Amino acid sequence: MGRFMSAPDKPTLPEEELDHIPGSEPSTRMDAWWWLVALVVGFIALLLIFKPDPFWNILQFVQDGIVITVTVTLISFVLMLGIGMIGGLGRLSTNRVIYTISTLYVELVRGIPLLVQLIAWYFAVPVIIQYMGKATGSPALEGFQADPIVLAVIGLVFCYGAYMSEIYRAGIQSIPKGQMEAARSLGMTYFQAMRHVVLPQAFRVILPPIGNEFIALLKDSSLVSVVAVADLTRRGREYSSMHFNPIEVWLLVALLYLVMTLFSARVVNWIEKKTRFER
Amino acid sequence: MADPIIHIEKVYKYFGRVQALRGVSLDIAHGEVVVIVGPSGSGKSTLLRCINRLETYEKGSITVDGIPLDGNRNINAVRREVGMVFQSFNLFSHLTVMDNLMLAQRVVRNRSKEEARQTAIGLLNKVGIPDKADNKPAQLSGGQQQRVAIARALAMNPEVMLFDEPTSALDPEMIKEVLEVMLALAREGMTMVVVSHEMGFTRAAAKRVIFMDEGQILEEAPPDILFNSPKHERTKQFLSKILSH
Repeated sequence: MGRFMSAPDKPTLPEEELDHIPGSEPSTRMDAWWWLVALVVGFIALLLIFKPDPFWNILQFVQDGIVITVTVTLISFVLMLGIGMIGGLGRLSTNRVIYTISTLYVELVRGIPLLVQLIAWYFAVPVIIQYMGKATGSPALEGFQADPIVLAVIGLVFCYGAYMSEIYRAGIQSIPKGQMEAARSLGMTYFQAMRHVVLPQAFRVILPPIGNEFIALLKDSSLVSVVAVADLTRRGREYSSMHFNPIEVWLLVALLYLVMTLFSARVVNWIEKKTRFER
Repeated sequence: MADPIIHIEKVYKYFGRVQALRGVSLDIAHGEVVVIVGPSGSGKSTLLRCINRLETYEKGSITVDGIPLDGNRNINAVRREVGMVFQSFNLFSHLTVMDNLMLAQRVVRNRSKEEARQTAIGLLNKVGIPDKADNKPAQLSGGQQQRVAIARALAMNPEVMLFDEPTSALDPEMIKEVLEVMLALAREGMTMVVVSHEMGFTRAAAKRVIFMDEGQILEEAPPDILFNSPKHERTKQFLSKILSH
């Protein structure tokens, strides 16, 4: 009902009003659920102010972990957007080889737990590379040392790329066939039509599920704590085992994750509203 | 016919086990307006879609403006010369009318922004909706959308225009505005292949009417001859149904 009560900020020309479609205007009102973000932030602030020991100390200790968590999540997210697009296009390819490879990728990766994949990337892959170094007599490969963060990002992207591929595929398939036909009959190549006509529309369709994936990725990034990445979860565990105060540590870590996920959900919601369009 | 712009020779097409086209041959001359009529499922839309290779065909050959439809390079070359107008308009729904008209000019013809814009403005004037340039397709009526779709195809300076039941999805009062644009185009000498049951347009613009049934061309003649004295029994049956109202 708020929509009918609040007048638009900008003065609109009569011409625009004639063509006005209800619900098509980007909402200028504050999304009501921001208060939940504020509530959690407020709660954390209260803990820090009134119980600086241990909460302020914990925050000091885990802050570099927050940076790692955010960095790993953002880098993985950007990369998986690309992998997902390639995978999604592959799943729609009429080329049998490309279709089979991308389908195998999606089906196999979806069937293995992310934790198992991350452990395999960190513990098994470097050993395989070292074996290969031995076999080929290459000292560079033989002495291969894994960077935990790089392998964690690869593991996350490899796994989430598969889920992303399916989201892209569904999004592209949801665009009416006539859009591709119209673009092709104007002389565009398949890739030109994809890039300029189909994908921009598909992207708006898949924005909500992509947003969900981002939030899921943010949470699942805590799994990298088992493969030697000093993220928020791992830093929390370190502090907790040093000071034996699990209740306070995990309360604060949980709240910090909650702030990040709730905030992300609001941003996704805002982007969705901005890019909404009429068919 | 001396030098047909479209040469279709013995084209066969199957949808699984269904024969959609059974050895269709047809020549269309420069500047000719041909209307294809026939019952649904007769293969008329399929034939039209074969001309710019939106449908593949199993046997036979099609040549457009001297370019045989084979290989991806040639198919894209043919598509640049052939404009297509669809029953469901198929405007790019995420773009404004202006961007709908400019996109392929920029991407396919490599025209400058300014040149593409000027072409688009000229064509929007031509189809009678210069004031809708900044609107999204969803804000336009069906008739306006179809006129934009025609303008979008014309922006590529095609040699041939294909119309696949361009007025079938329109309210009666919007049909006229689209047919007027098509009629003007025909008078300018555009080569047009039209799948439509609009008898008024056919009588006014068509040089030839082609009657298709079950994937074959049963008969072809100028409109007044075909409508007034059809040769085949099947043609008579069909025409009695669409001409009576």
